[in-house]
Order: sequence, then C-alpha cells, then structure tokens
Amino acid sequence: MLWVDKYRPKTLDKMIVHDDIAQHLKKLVTEQDCPHLLFYGPSGSGKKTLIMAVLRQMYGASAEKVKIENKTWKVDAGSRTLDLELTTLSSTNHVEINPSEAGFQDRYVVQEIIKEMAKNRPIDAKGKKGYKVLVLNEVDKLSREAQHSLRRTMEKYSASCRLILCCNSSSKVTEAVRSRCLNVRINAPTEEQIVKVLEFIGKKENLQLPPGFAARIAVQSNRSLRRAVLLFETCRVQQYPFTSIQAIPPMDWEQYVSEIASDIMQEQSPKRLFMVRGKLYELLINCIPPEIILKRLLSELLKKLDAELKHEVCHWAAYYEHRMRLGQKAIFHIEAFVAKFMSIYKAFLIATFG
Amino acid sequence: MSDIRKWFMKSHDKNNGSGSVKPAKPTSTDPPPSQKPLPTASKPEKSAQGGQESSGRRKTSKYFAGDASKGKDEKEVEKTPAKRKSQKSSEEIHDDVKPPSAKKLHKGEEDDDDFVPPSASKKSVEATPAKKLKSGTGRGIVKKSVEPDENDDDDDVNDEVAGTPVKAGGRGRGGRGSAAAPAAGRGRGGGRGGFMNFGERKDPPHKGEKEVPEGAPTCLTGLTFVISGTLDSLEREEAEDLIKRHGGRVTGSVSKKTNYLLADEDIGGRKSEKAKELGTTFINEDGLFDMIRKSRPTKTPPNEESKKSVDKVAALQPKASPSKVETVDSRANKAAPKRVVSNASPVKRKGTTGSDSLTWTEKYKPKVPNDIIGNQSIVKQLHDWLLHWNEHFLHTDPKGKGKKQSDSGSKKAVLLSGTPGIGKSTSAKLVSQMLGFQAIEVNASDTRGKADAKIVKGIGGSRANSIKELVSSGSLNVKMDLSKQPKTVLIMDEVDGMSAGDRGGVADLIASIKISKIPIICICNDRYSQKLKSLVNYCLLLNYRKPTKQQMGKRLMQVANAEGIQVNEIALEELAERVNGDMRMAINQLQYMSLSMSAIKYDDVRQRLLSSAKDEDISPFVAVDKLLGFNGGKLRMDERIDLSMSDADLVPLLIQENYLNFRPSSAGKDDNGVKRMNLIARAAESIGNGDIINVQIRRYRQWQLSPSGCLSSCIIPAALLHGQREILAQGERNFNRFGGWLGKNSTMGKNLRLLEDAHVHLLASREFISNRETLRVDYLSHMLRQLTDPLRVLPKDEAVQKVVEFMDTYSISQEDFDTIVELSKFQGHPNPLDGIQPAIKAALTKAYKLGSSLRVVRAADMITLPGIKKAPKKRIAAILEPVDDALAEENGDTLAESEEENSSDTEDTDGVDTVEKKLQLDLLSPSSKSGIQVQLNSKNSGSSSAKKTAASKPKKAPEPAENKGSRGSGSASKRKR
Repeated sequence: MLWVDKYRPKTLDKMIVHDDIAQHLKKLVTEQDCPHLLFYGPSGSGKKTLIMAVLRQMYGASAEKVKIENKTWKVDAGSRTLDLELTTLSSTNHVEINPSEAGFQDRYVVQEIIKEMAKNRPIDAKGKKGYKVLVLNEVDKLSREAQHSLRRTMEKYSASCRLILCCNSSSKVTEAVRSRCLNVRINAPTEEQIVKVLEFIGKKENLQLPPGFAARIAVQSNRSLRRAVLLFETCRVQQYPFTSIQAIPPMDWEQYVSEIASDIMQEQSPKRLFMVRGKLYELLINCIPPEIILKRLLSELLKKLDAELKHEVCHWAAYYEHRMRLGQKAIFHIEAFVAKFMSIYKAFLIATFG
Repeated sequence: MSDIRKWFMKSHDKNNGSGSVKPAKPTSTDPPPSQKPLPTASKPEKSAQGGQESSGRRKTSKYFAGDASKGKDEKEVEKTPAKRKSQKSSEEIHDDVKPPSAKKLHKGEEDDDDFVPPSASKKSVEATPAKKLKSGTGRGIVKKSVEPDENDDDDDVNDEVAGTPVKAGGRGRGGRGSAAAPAAGRGRGGGRGGFMNFGERKDPPHKGEKEVPEGAPTCLTGLTFVISGTLDSLEREEAEDLIKRHGGRVTGSVSKKTNYLLADEDIGGRKSEKAKELGTTFINEDGLFDMIRKSRPTKTPPNEESKKSVDKVAALQPKASPSKVETVDSRANKAAPKRVVSNASPVKRKGTTGSDSLTWTEKYKPKVPNDIIGNQSIVKQLHDWLLHWNEHFLHTDPKGKGKKQSDSGSKKAVLLSGTPGIGKSTSAKLVSQMLGFQAIEVNASDTRGKADAKIVKGIGGSRANSIKELVSSGSLNVKMDLSKQPKTVLIMDEVDGMSAGDRGGVADLIASIKISKIPIICICNDRYSQKLKSLVNYCLLLNYRKPTKQQMGKRLMQVANAEGIQVNEIALEELAERVNGDMRMAINQLQYMSLSMSAIKYDDVRQRLLSSAKDEDISPFVAVDKLLGFNGGKLRMDERIDLSMSDADLVPLLIQENYLNFRPSSAGKDDNGVKRMNLIARAAESIGNGDIINVQIRRYRQWQLSPSGCLSSCIIPAALLHGQREILAQGERNFNRFGGWLGKNSTMGKNLRLLEDAHVHLLASREFISNRETLRVDYLSHMLRQLTDPLRVLPKDEAVQKVVEFMDTYSISQEDFDTIVELSKFQGHPNPLDGIQPAIKAALTKAYKLGSSLRVVRAADMITLPGIKKAPKKRIAAILEPVDDALAEENGDTLAESEEENSSDTEDTDGVDTVEKKLQLDLLSPSSKSGIQVQLNSKNSGSSSAKKTAASKPKKAPEPAENKGSRGSGSASKRKR
C-alpha cells in the first residue's frame, strides 16, 4: 500500500498536521448536532482526511465500510428525460458524490438526486443519530445554477441531512451557500509540518533520513502533504539508502510543463506556438486538468521572467483562466495565453535588446 | 444642391452602367427620330430620372446612327467637342451646373468622383486628346473598356472602406492600376493553393514599393507566363492577376508553350532549369512592367478613360461609336467580322435580334454527340449501350437468359448522373436521335407515381400508366410498326426528383425496367441519393464529370464567335470556372452579358459573376481558404458571414487550427515578427471569445448570439491574419489541416473514461479516497513507478510478485495498468514501459491471471462471468465487504442499496439462469479448496441478514452466488440495452 494511504490518520485524534482543527471538529460532532460544513483549502492539505475522520467520529467504524456504485439516474428535465451517470460512495450513514462530474447538467444532479437523497430519513433502528451526511466534492466546480439549487436543499432538509462540502477555493462557492455552512479553512501544511510527518513515516518504516532530505522534499512538494509523502516514497523506490544530494524526481507532467515553458522562453514565433499547442494537447489528452496546466505554466514562466513583466503576465494568466472557465474548449484559452505571453515577451525583448 | 443628386445619379448610373447603359446600343435598333428634342425638353424637370436615362440612351443610339452615317469620313478630332456639347445640352446627364465645355466637364466630374485623386483626373483631361489621336488611328474598343473598369474602381473603394487597410497604403493610389491590382482576383487566389505549395516563401523584398503599371488589356494576349521564386515587389497573386488582367496566361509549370519565366532571382529550382532547357525567356518583374507600360502610349487612353466618372460614360458613347465604325471600315480584316456583327450596323443587329428569340442554350445546343463538351467516353458508352440494346434484350431472347445475366455490361437501363448543366439530358437525346430512336421524355413535371393496376381512365389517362403501356408495348413497336416507328427510347429525367407526388415511383420504375421492351435512360443529379439506392442495381451507371474550364472555354469561344462577341479566352475560362462546370449557366451568363457589352473582358466576368455566381456547397476547407487566404481582406462582410456560417461548427475549428500558419498581409514589413505575434495574440483572444459565446449559445440556448459568435471565432481572426500560408512543421503539406480539436477532445474523453474506471477500482479498494483529478495529478506518476520500476530492477519472480501485490492492494486490473501507462506517455519522452523485458511482462500477466481466483474481488466488473465474453465494464455497482468486518454487518439496508435493488432485481431475466448455474459451479469449486474470499452482497430484501461471506459459511455459498450472478448479468444486460 502506498504510504500516503497507509499512514493516513483514521481518527481525529491521530491528526498530526491540523490537530487543532481536528479537536474543534471533534467537539462539534460529539455535541450531537453539527451544522453543514464547508471545508476548503489547497489540494494536499488534508481536507478529505479530515472529512473521513469526522465521519468516523460520527458513526464509528461503519463509516468506513463504503461501497461504490455507478448508477444511471433518470432525471426529468422539463420536456425530456436525461440519463445521468454518477458514481456514489456510500456507507449506511453517508453518501459521497461528486456532482460536478455531470458537467453542465450538474444542476439536475443537485435538484433531483441530492434532493432525493436528502429527503429520505435514514432508517435508524437504534435512534442513535438523527441525520445522515451527504459529502459533496468539488463544490467549486459546480455551476452557478447548481449552487443556487443547492441552498434551498440545505435549508429544507436540514433536519435529516447534513452536507459536508469540500472544495479548493471558497471564492468559487456562492455567498449564499457559504453562509449556510460552517466554513473550515484547511491551510496547506507548512514545510516544518511536512518534515514532521515525513520523519514520522520514516520512523515507522525504519528509514534513515539524511539531514535536510525531508526538508528538500517539503520544498519540492509545494506544501502539499500528499505530494510530499508520494515523493518521499518515490525516492525510496528509486534509491535507498537516501543520500542528502539525491535528486527528487519531478512529476512527469510537471516536467513536461516546464519543458513547454522553456520552449516559450526560447523563441516566440508562430512556429513555436504551434509546437506548444501540440504539447498542450498532449497534456490535456493525458487528463491533466487545464487549470492546473495554466497555473503550473505560469509559475514556470515566472521563474524565468524579468521582474517588470511579472505583473502583467500574471494579470493575463488570471484573465485567461477566467475565460477558460466561461468557455468550453480549454486549449483555445491556454493557447491564447501563450500567444499573449509571446507577444508581450517578444516586444519586451526587442525593446530591451533591440 | 447637386451633391446628393450627383450621388444619386452616380449610383443610378452605376447600376445601369454595367447592365443597361451599354445595351442601349444593341437594343435600340430603330431610334425614333423624334427622340432627339425630347431630352432637351426634359432638361428643366429633373424629376423622371429613369425616363431621362433611357431617353438619353436612345438618343445616344440615335446619335450613333447619325454619326455612323457621316462619321466615317469626318475627322474625329473635330467632332468631339461639338458632339459633347450637343450631348451636354440635349441629354443633360446629371449636372445642370456643368458648363457645356469639355474642360469644365472634367472639372465637374472631378468633383463628382471622390475616388479619383486629382492627378488621375488630370490624366483624364490629357487623355482626351490622346484618345482622339488614337481613335484617329482607328483603334476602336475605346468605349467598351470604360464601364467595367469604373465599376472596378468603385468596388475597390468599397472594399477598402469595408476594412482592409492592407494594400492600399503602400501602393499609392496614383494610378488606376494601383487600385485595381489588389482588387483583382477577389475570392480566388485563396482558393487555389496550387503554386503556394512550395514551402516557405519570403515576403517580396520591396513589397508595395513599386507602382504597378497598367497597359492595354490585350497587351499580353497569347503570352504564357510562369512565375518562379519571390518577386521584387509583387506577391505571387498580384503578379498573376496583373498578367491575367492584361490578357496573359499563367501556368504552374514550364512547358514548351511558356513564353516567359517571370523570376527576379535565379533560385535554380526546377522551373528555371526546365526553362533553360527549353530556352524560355527569363523576365524579371521590371521587365514585365515594361512590357505592360510599352503598350501604354497607344493603348492607355481607353484605360484612362475609365478614370473618368460614370457620367462621362454616357457622354462618350456617341463619340465612341463612330470610331468603332471607323474601325470596322479601316481594319475589318483584322478585327474579325464578329465585331461588325455585334457593334456596327443596326441592320445586322436587327437580324440578330430576330433570331435571338431562341435562347443561346437552345441555339447552341450540341447537334451531334461529338459536340458535347467533355465526357466523350461516357457518351460513347451510352451510344454503344443503346446501339446494342436490341441485340441484347430482344433479338437474343431466344438464346436464353443466361447470357444476358452474366454479361454485366448490359443492364437494361442506364442511369446518367452528374451536376446540372453538364449535358446529361442533351447527350441522352442526341444519342437516341442519332441512333434513330424516338425519345419519349418523362420528367419531373409529369406525374410519375405508381401505376394504377387497373387502367380506368384509359391509356392516356395517367402518365404513369402510359409509361407502363409504353414499356410493355415496346415489342409492338418493334415488331409491327417497324417501318414507321422503328425504335423508342424512354428517357426518365430527374429520377431523383421523384417525391411525394410520385409515390412508389422508383419501385414502379424498377418494375418497368424489368419488363421493359424498350431501353430506358434514367437521369439524376445525385447518384448516391437514398431514393435511388434500389434503382442503381438495375442500371448501368454512367457518371458525368464536370468539363474542365479549358474545354468549356473553347466551346464558349465558339459561341462567342458565332454571336460576334469580342472576348478573350482567359475571360471565358474565368467564366467557366465561376459557374462551376455548369455549361448551361455559362452560356446563359454569356448571353446576358452580351446584351450589355460586345467585348467581354476578364474583369467583366469577374465582376458580373461575383454577385450571380452559382451557388455551390462551400466546404469548410474552401471557406477557410477564402477567409484566411491572401484575398480574405477583400471579401465583403456578408460574404465573410456566409463563409463562416457555411458550417458554423467546423469553420471555427478549422480557423483555430490553421490561423497560425498564415503570414498576415496586414503586418506589412515585419522584420522581427512582433506585429505578427501581436496579431496572433489578438486573434487567439478573439477565438477564445468565440468559444465563450458558443457556450452561451449551446448551454443557454442564446441563439441570437450566433452572429457574434461567428464574428469572433472566424471573421476577426481571419481579418487579422489573412495572408499567405506557410508551413510550420517540417514536411507538412501546405494545405489547411483539419481541426485537431475534435480528435484530441475525443481522445481526451476516452482517456478520462479509462481514468475513471481505474479511479473507481482504486476507490473500491477503500485505500484510496481522493478524487480523479488528484489521482492523475499526484498519484499517477508515483503509481507508475511502483508498477514498473520493480520490473526493471528486481529479479523476475520477485518483481512480478511485488507488482501483483501492489495491484491487488489497490484492486488495479490489467486494464487499469494499461491506462496508467498510457496516461503517462508524453510525446518526446521515453515510453514508461521501455526497458522491461517482454518475458517479464508476460510473466506479470500470467501471475495476475493466476492470482485472480484467490483475489478479494472488490469491483463487480472484475469478476469474469463465464458465458459472458467480456466482463461487464465497470458501470456496475462495485460491492465490497471487508473480509474481517464481515460479522459486523449492520442490519438495515442503506437507502442506496435499496434503490439499487430496485433497479437490479427487475432486470432478472430468463436468459440469466444458465449463467447463474455456471457461476455457482465456478464459485463452489474454489471455495471448497481455499475458502474463496469473494464478498457478496445479498440483495434479498426479505433477509438482510443473508449477507454472509462465502468463506464463513461455505454451505450458503450457492445462494449469494446466485444473487451475484443475477445482479452481474442483470446489469450486464442492462448495459447491452
């Protein structure tokens, strides 16, 4: 089993990183009635782990006995009937779904399916808990309409159902939804915390950690604990015993993005742009989400960019990222960003060096 | 006061200019003498413009007649002012303000004409005497050239207004040629990539710096040019156009006929080698300009004339006509009799009009099969078929049918197909006529429904019945009326047009063919039409191809000669190209144009057919070619919209795919490519806008946005970047690529599905809680390492065992393994499976298969059900109950379970039984041995306690197995549906 999963804390008490939050949540849950929760924070900070631990705290070990289903729902959407396919992960007391999977039909998922689930009270023989929990992932990817439909559900069925929402960015969740939840911000772990975790794992696995090695992984991981642990294990697979100068292999796609970035910096021409397009397609085909590509590309470019251009380039990146969300064909917008960057950078180079 | 009026007049004139001003002469064959005073009288009252116009025209022709009579011996020079004056006073074209002096007239025109810079008008002033001189020498085409050019100019200006800052700047507008040259070849250049096929070509070094000369339209007639390499100041298209404009011919490769090789630098390519070999003259751009300029002193006037505003045209007519007559007299031998026919004598003209009652399409219809343009082999085939029909089907009858069937070449009917206007009906008729058949034609205007079995109305009552009658009584004709009516052939025209009214028409036709005793010729446009699917089996298929433009041009030339129209070959070929192979339309156009002018030039054809060009299906490629092509900036906005709307989904994709390849002509001289990059960035942003608008349109059904969508996704990028195409990647063909997005998107969709499958399996392992994105972004590369690294470094058995263990932990199936490998492949990076021995791979597969019976099954789709070829894909509920937790079963089904039960239990079908049995056996045998760990989730709603593991209670194994089977196959069948 991968270390990430092996050493994932199962209960709130075992949390290493966000132990304070964990304790608060524990109090909240044990007081029998917990509000809707909205967890937000960067990826790899431990949102999901916390949610699972909270569920376990609520329902005990049965919360872990989940089954996964992939079902087709027939939804009546005005004049026609839609078939929606959705994967649910459910135990006796909770259901976890990812409504944004349905793409632009997510509205129906929220309006019909979630409502349906929320409506039904759990059959509770012992009368232990009066509600069940719906875990919704990636709420920030929901369309505006879906989020609007969500808020009514949250109020109406709050007697029998609690929602736990999980997302990366709370700014993409509407105000109305946010105000109905207890917002829990999960920070990315600091590098020290990551080092602590890595050392913990190292001890458990009986590994010799050279000094500074864990810190380097922490830096490389970009403050994502998950990535740090994965990198750690990758290094273990690659070479053991560790040496302090051991190279930490980058992710395949990250490496590819940085190649693209250096391509762009080297030459700004239609020819190069065409080549970059091909590489971008390659990334997209390999299922790398376009937002992540754009973000990564920007940070790679910023590394090599002159200070005076940074502001402008960031502006355009944000501009095109927004447009990418509005649009559908991500490649168009990423390409537009690259073209814009090339245009700016080329003009800059010529102005500076003639 | 006069400004508005002038404009009005001008536009009026323009409208007439091409169409009706010139017809004046031919039409008014008998000018009433009383007409002359009439205009004068009408001068004060300016109200009735139209009438005035026409009266003016009449009078013109009257003048013409009068002048013609006396003009021959009179000196043209003396005549001009007088005539003009008289014309002025009497006719009063537009400007009552204009003083009746020639000079002033020009002045007035200058005011009128916004387009003509002062220099030009000055030229025109000078031009007048020159022309006189020239007409003195007997050059006669003076007037003819006027109108079209004028139009040309107007058009150019419009174009420029319409938003092409492109060319006008550099070239200057001093000479007429400057404005005209870019205008030329609108909408074409782009469409033909022929010579642009040579990889990268640089911009002309002195682009736009030379003034393009102009000469007489015929100065290059008969000369053939080949262009090679980069010219000094002209783009390829411009040069080609310049040559064509002056009557020359441009071909793609050097041959014996080539007169000149136009090249500014000897790049030593194949063309120049060939040219040297053949001794072709080399000429550079300046040489070409000189050639054209040389023609100018003598021939300039006619062109200069064109500079004059439209109103002048009318004024010129009376004057010009005598000169023409003179021409006829002085150089009748040279100027070909046809001109006489068309231009000169009213008498002749009258004669022509008399016979003109026939349209030219009828008049010049092929008289013998050999006259048919193109498709000669088809005609021959048709001929042979018809010739031997009787032998095959009538006289050989006694010999037996066997032979007939085996002879595939002889079908009983023939199906001619091809686009309209290429001579299908004509050839059918001609061939039958030639062979002495009497043709009976039935076309869409006749009812052709299924024949009524009982003929109530009698033989002639229903057309369909008469066909039947005809067909079946063919023998009658042959045998009995042999002498009178030897043979009949039935021509079924427009069989693909059989529609609602002709119910059962095709079936009936087939039936008729079967019993027919006469040959049947069917004609259709689209052979692949759904309606004709059954018919084609019974017919000999002959597909007509569009004749080439050369073939058509030749024929059109014959027609033009016969009608006495002065026209050059280039123009006719252009015409042929424009009508897209439709001979009938070409002749119609020719006739139409002949009404207004007796000499037709390249420009005329282009102008005329721009508006009335034949509608054709625009393929997205053609549309993109035109939009992004060199002349893309010349298109009118409505044309651009038409083009981009021709396929509102594909054209934007093609534009997006190809816009990088175009070197924008609007960037002008762009040493470092900054401008171009800038334009590309703008275009890319606009394309992004198009995408955003498209989302609004599709998702929120805001269809009113579709014009904006088309504007931002096609027109703006094309307007910014249109130019010459160049290749970006090595070895790429210089044609527009098909939009890559569609393919990439579907690959992405497929990969996402695969990833989702793997994701579900991982989730089912319950060791993994993250979402799909995280799986891809964070986990995948590490997992790949876990899966492949051991195979590389460890000894075989150990490695295989380790990998299989890992796969089992995460319930990764072999497909998932492949998915992970596939998704980690990046172009230009080494394949993740490199360096792994095939033997090891095989061992891995074997080990995985071996372990499958011992494995904790966590996802339903990973169970191979005997009897079902492939395990149902993951879309089935994956159930899992951890082994150690088996006892801690909670009572009470969850909501989800009960729902699922509903869906799956209803799926129980009879066919499942056998599968179940097999499955039972399958499960039983290992369970006795090793205690199978298949965790099964009973679905018996009555006894939820029936959830037992097979391991814990082997006796009960059959029951859950049955449930399992029913669920599995049930959902399998669901998927199949």
